[in-house]
Amino acid sequence: MTGRRRSFWSNVAAVAYKEASLVRHDKALLATVFAQPVMMFLLMGFALSNKPADVRWAVLDQSNTTLSRRLVQEIQATGYFVTPRPVWSHEAGRQLLLQGDALAFLVIPKDFRRNVERGRPQVQVLVDGSDPLQAARVGAYIGEVVARFDLPHAAGAVAGASRPPLAVSTAGPVDMRQRFWFNPTLLDRTFFLAALAGMLLTNLCMSVTSGGLVAERESGTYEQMLALPTTPIELVLGKLVPYVGLSYAVFLFATIAPGVVFGLWPHGSWLALILVTLPFVLASLAVGVFVSTLAHTSAQSVFITVFFILPSFVLSGVMFPYQFMPRGVREVGGLFPLRWYQIALRRIIERGAGLVDVAGPLLALIVLFAVILSAIRWRMKPRLG
Amino acid sequence: MNWRRLRTLIRREILATFRDPFTMTILVTVPLAALLVFGFVLSTEVKGLRLGVVDAARSSASRRLIAELGAKGTFVPQPFNTRAALEAALVAGNISAAIVIPPDFDRDLRAAGVARERPQVQVIYDGGEATLAGNAEGFLRTLIANTSAAVLADDGVGAGRGIEVVTRALFNPTLDGTPFMVSGTFGFVLSFLTVLITAVSIVTEKITGTFEQLQVTPATSLEILLGKILPMGAVFALDVVLMVLVAGLVLHVWPRGSVVFFVLVSSFYVLVSLGLGLIISATSATAAEAVQKSVLFSIPLVQLSGFAFPIRSMPRFVQWIAEVFPATHYIRVSRAIYMRGEGPITLLPELALLLLFGILLVGYALRTIEARR
Repeated sequence: MTGRRRSFWSNVAAVAYKEASLVRHDKALLATVFAQPVMMFLLMGFALSNKPADVRWAVLDQSNTTLSRRLVQEIQATGYFVTPRPVWSHEAGRQLLLQGDALAFLVIPKDFRRNVERGRPQVQVLVDGSDPLQAARVGAYIGEVVARFDLPHAAGAVAGASRPPLAVSTAGPVDMRQRFWFNPTLLDRTFFLAALAGMLLTNLCMSVTSGGLVAERESGTYEQMLALPTTPIELVLGKLVPYVGLSYAVFLFATIAPGVVFGLWPHGSWLALILVTLPFVLASLAVGVFVSTLAHTSAQSVFITVFFILPSFVLSGVMFPYQFMPRGVREVGGLFPLRWYQIALRRIIERGAGLVDVAGPLLALIVLFAVILSAIRWRMKPRLG
Repeated sequence: MNWRRLRTLIRREILATFRDPFTMTILVTVPLAALLVFGFVLSTEVKGLRLGVVDAARSSASRRLIAELGAKGTFVPQPFNTRAALEAALVAGNISAAIVIPPDFDRDLRAAGVARERPQVQVIYDGGEATLAGNAEGFLRTLIANTSAAVLADDGVGAGRGIEVVTRALFNPTLDGTPFMVSGTFGFVLSFLTVLITAVSIVTEKITGTFEQLQVTPATSLEILLGKILPMGAVFALDVVLMVLVAGLVLHVWPRGSVVFFVLVSSFYVLVSLGLGLIISATSATAAEAVQKSVLFSIPLVQLSGFAFPIRSMPRFVQWIAEVFPATHYIRVSRAIYMRGEGPITLLPELALLLLFGILLVGYALRTIEARR
């Protein structure tokens, strides 16, 4: 029993050694391992954001009063907009929207001032729905400014001191104090970077292993390995070990770089972070191995890998919040290891969770790893029989 | 240029492509899968978001506010008795946003006009999910501002506060994310898949030696190049038609503008990206290298081309980089035709740019092939 176990581990170690010496000489692979993390880090840290900025908009101010001009100013004061483009007709404004030269179009009617006095003022906002995410937010920004636009105060200011200082409030009837926990300025950067390790490791693990078995089959070393007294599982585990080391190096980069550059250090437990990474790396590597058992040529394995990575990025929630996805799609995303890993990452890094809080995702990752491992075993058996 | 030779080369390429069932499968399944995955994934509708509520006021106005928040299905209010319980739920990720209504909410609200403190409502979001929080913020702000104004108006206190906004989204009234993503997916598939397929096919030919055989035939570089990209272009043009049909029939997204114009522009864009694929493969020694280059190239493609993230929200210098990708311009054109129904005249500048990219890339590809002979 112990003898069997010892030979198991020594077999794994032998295969691992062979694989590690291969990795060391693969220049193209090492370039990817180094270039990709840096590129992704720069993009997510500096470039990407869902927050509307420099929004181009048009204003048709038929009222043309101090009051209406103040409304326009207030909207601009939110900081999301550039100076509005004045237009003189509905058609001109619609044309700007049509050409994509404006994202929003505010129409202040002729009788705006009079309606303010009567108490039924109304303005119209047209947004370009072709970019719904931006449109929803821009519409809401304008809507909120307009809704809390303080009429008595503004009107009072217009009419000079003739009005009693009825409204001491400066903004709407309710004082809304809002706070964004875990990410006070609501930076998209925090959102993306928290999941950076997940994205990098998915790319790395899948691409290093997926070609592996196929390449061995193509070069004939697979047959040689079959002749050895190693079982398929020993072979697979041995092939995975060096990549686990490489993965942890990438993981450390993805965790430390945001900390050093942006001050985004994990709030929670490092131990939990390191622990939850292991089953994720193993599961991702195993998926790569499984892909390579499906493919007949390296080119095929590459295609299958790329088209596994893609949906796992899209559906797991690292880029788009999975809470937005419709029912069935959301569940499909749960089949990807990245979904559970990113949940754990966000909990630990952003919300400061400990090991207990990520027990669920951890368990899910272990189950996924076990399932994939048995799938590999099933795929490799007939060839070894 | 000899038409007979070119015809033979095209025939050869078509036969080679159709003989390989794997490539055919990829060519059909990947565009459709991408369409479905991306089509479903983005929705701006904040729906069924769990909103923790601590209602210390327990008054008619506060209950009305909470009911109003839950009414549209945007939020599902979940009552909490204490603030501590609420905060714990936020940390555990059980709720995405929270609202705390103070005990004297009603009194302060009604008295707001008369030199008193305005009632304070505290709203906390889970900023960890930045996109979600950003969208929820907009909804909550507007809802709270409107509801409290309505409560006051009904009471006859401070009626007339606030302005009614009539917001309408043109081109996409329900702000559905599907058309946005579908029209962008064309850009993604036609940029990424074309580059990857050409890269792999040429490198495979290099390995088996058939590419060298081609180069010693009397065929000129231009003929070899056209013999490669024209049949591939035709296959991808079929892909475009297939995608338009599936997007229309399954996802109910049809182009608002002219379908013929869209297919024409897309087919031209395919040639541009095939040129890029040729350059990548001509400069790669192995299939793995070509693939890694294509994948590296695809990262900025997805993230900077405006496919998923707004270009105007990027820093200025990154915006300039984004403008250098042909994909950025194609996606812009694709969205304009699909969603706003724009025609060739308003799109002229973008189309001219695409043409320029095409000439540059195909010219450069020709030179690399020439140089390697």
